[in-house]
Amino acid sequence: MTVTAARGGQGQPAVGQPLLEISHVAKSFPGVRALDDVSFTLRHGEVLTLAGENGAGKSTLLGILGGSLSPDEGSVTVDGVRRDEFSPRRALAEGVMIAHQEPAIVPQLTVEQNLLLGKTATERRAAAAAVDGALADVAAMGFPLDRRQRLTRMSPAQRHALTIAKAFAFGAKVVALDEPTTSMLEHNVEAVLDRVRHLAAERGIGVIFVSHKMPEVMAVSDRVVVLRDGRVGYESPIAQTSTDEIVRRMVGRELLSFRRQHPVSSHAPVVFTATGVTRPDSPVSNDLSVRAGEVVGIAGLVGSGRTEFLRALVHADPGCGGRLTLDGEVVRIGSPNGSRDAGIAFIPEDRKKQGLALQMPAYANIALTAAPDLVGSGPFTSPRRQIAVSEEVGRSLALKPANVRLKARQYSGGNQQKLVIAKWLRRGSRVFLFDEPTKGVDVGGKAEIYGLIDQLAAAGNAVVVVSSDLPEIISLSDRVLVMRNGRFISEHVGDDINEHSLVASAMGIAKGTA
Amino acid sequence: MTSDTAAGRPPRHFHVNLQALGIFIAAAAIFAIFGVLNSNFLTLGNLRDVAVSACVNALIGIGLTFVIITGGIDLSVGSIASFTGIVTANMMVNQGVSPVPALIAGLVLGFLAGVVNGLLITVLKLPPFIATLGTMSVYQGLAYVVTSGTPVYNVPQPFVLMLNSYIGGVPIVVVVVIVVALLAWLLLRRTVFGQNVIATGGSEETAWLSGVRVSRVKILVYGLSGTLAALAGLVVVARISAAQSEAGSPYLLTAIAAAVIGGANLMGGEGRIAGTLVGALILGALTNGLTLLNVPSFYEQIVTGLVVLIAVAIDQGSRGWPSLRGRRNQAEAAQLTPGVDGTTTDRPAEPAVGSRASE
Repeated sequence: MTVTAARGGQGQPAVGQPLLEISHVAKSFPGVRALDDVSFTLRHGEVLTLAGENGAGKSTLLGILGGSLSPDEGSVTVDGVRRDEFSPRRALAEGVMIAHQEPAIVPQLTVEQNLLLGKTATERRAAAAAVDGALADVAAMGFPLDRRQRLTRMSPAQRHALTIAKAFAFGAKVVALDEPTTSMLEHNVEAVLDRVRHLAAERGIGVIFVSHKMPEVMAVSDRVVVLRDGRVGYESPIAQTSTDEIVRRMVGRELLSFRRQHPVSSHAPVVFTATGVTRPDSPVSNDLSVRAGEVVGIAGLVGSGRTEFLRALVHADPGCGGRLTLDGEVVRIGSPNGSRDAGIAFIPEDRKKQGLALQMPAYANIALTAAPDLVGSGPFTSPRRQIAVSEEVGRSLALKPANVRLKARQYSGGNQQKLVIAKWLRRGSRVFLFDEPTKGVDVGGKAEIYGLIDQLAAAGNAVVVVSSDLPEIISLSDRVLVMRNGRFISEHVGDDINEHSLVASAMGIAKGTA
Repeated sequence: MTSDTAAGRPPRHFHVNLQALGIFIAAAAIFAIFGVLNSNFLTLGNLRDVAVSACVNALIGIGLTFVIITGGIDLSVGSIASFTGIVTANMMVNQGVSPVPALIAGLVLGFLAGVVNGLLITVLKLPPFIATLGTMSVYQGLAYVVTSGTPVYNVPQPFVLMLNSYIGGVPIVVVVVIVVALLAWLLLRRTVFGQNVIATGGSEETAWLSGVRVSRVKILVYGLSGTLAALAGLVVVARISAAQSEAGSPYLLTAIAAAVIGGANLMGGEGRIAGTLVGALILGALTNGLTLLNVPSFYEQIVTGLVVLIAVAIDQGSRGWPSLRGRRNQAEAAQLTPGVDGTTTDRPAEPAVGSRASE
């Protein structure tokens, strides 16, 4: 593939002919079958939206398309040639370009250097026209850039626009845009989508568009494919469907059979309140109150600020504010150390990096919160005692393997999560903040963790669960708050806790849109 | 899942023991080789010399082991040794301070110098390498300033006797190192502080979110490193009965080498006091043995460098298997060999939405 061929010189491929064929693709990770027999076809000049909830398999599919993952089963065929090797190099050679949500740019380099990044010297000499074209595209999107400008001082929107233009610039046949407009203002979005449509039609490029913003989906695409639980759940020309229908197809699945054994009683007192919770990186302030025995779920899209809200509650980042009360008493904390001593437990999202020190034995991890039961009261501590108490805690959680001398890295995902929870069980914590408690945990492990959350609530504690897994939120929560753009925008109780209502709220397409 | 971990456990324990034992075996081999090559090497008197010569590296290396476990590095230890050595000697010789108060003052000065490192790293958020690269130069400069670069001679005899004499044939300094090592081991393995040090190096974010006061841990660790560097500096002063402005600088790289040979992982989270002691002994044995064999001293540096490289390569190699396995766990479950890591439980037939929930 030569670079000069990229711009218009290729002869007009017939618009509407099959370009990319995804055929029976399956992919598993430990604990999750991310893709399960996915097939669809992308045609020349077509813009196809790939829709689906978080975890439906979109990222995995883009990974396979871009060559960074290889499928367990199935095939990818580009322009009639079946791909026999999965590598990013191979995908690029086929003309498959992925513009990721996080712009793949080097800020210290100039616009032109970024466009040419990864090209060989020969390719660079032939690339002048492609660079000019990309600059024209960026300008058409509403971001006139100088090719000698460094990206250090450019806004995220400018970086995104450049990434999109680059994806189209060098002999692209298939371009996948992953949430390309998250950082952009409305009038820019329109210009960007116009340009994308124009490029697709002009050069017969097939575009895969991934977005949570339904109005954009309706505006830009020809067709929509909905992924659900790793399968194609729905496929339709955009003219023959509606926003409501797409959302319904994204979430419509069999309900989870887990039911709380101990829902909160209607006259339980408030245990935990947080008012005016702020972060240094956002002007928004949020309030939260949780009753004894209540599980409050926090739903929202990835990036909506749920994790940041929990981190603000325990002052995990400097400069967070807010007034907290526990059992009616004001608690003053300035760091996780203070929140730990006040009785607030935080079980973070990334257990390998934030929840555990993987190279330490399980018992030392459990002792890390310095519960007096485990470490004693003085400066000295006895591993023997830590092991004995940890084994006891482990038994109550059905920890497998039960030998707490093993290093934390030797446990499976679900049992690692139990270790993270175990850290807080002997601290006398009254508030439990869970962030994605069952991410990457297999089915059996999930059930156990749900049971544990239920028990913690039943013991009169206040429990908050952030999760992107809607069935999880729905089956665990007494009450659900939906966060959008860093702010709680709706509260759901009773029958209003259902997938359609929560997704609609999270995407801002229902009443109460922020 | 039970079956697979039951199968996976015994080799793991075996492996840990091998890793800890490896350094002792290597040390024994080096001693044996020199013993064969030169009959004087394994005499009691010579072994005592080896032990004494290892002491300075051992002291600095123990402090560095703590720093390295937190994932940091302290490049200023040599300068702190020089600085505190010349300040203490100057106090005794030119200001008439008696040895014990001077010694205590020297140790406090070393502690403070280390605390400054810790504050630069935690409050100003400087990377440890940069922070201590800067203070390495500052403390070295201060060491020159104290006496305008001139050495301090005629250090009082009582001070020399304190750190450079023998009780019943046993060098006092060796006893000091053994006591320091025991205390350091207790601190690392039997106190909450020690566990926090290891956790901070293993995953700082985890430690922080668990309520560990990470900054305080680091400041104290650099303070400890400064204190032990100061003690090492005083040992050097006692050994030559004089203080020079640059006396400590040769020990920076060798002390790091001792810790690394002993298994300290510069990525943090791992390190052993006993390992560092043996590392220092190996370096001492190399210097001593090569001198006995009349090998020109230039070659000694080459051999020392090679030993460091070999030791770390072996350590990485012994780590290689489990880390490969860990990486594979995260990758495709489909490619796991049966029986490893519970493929059956990890591959639910249905997507994991928790449909098989509790009754």
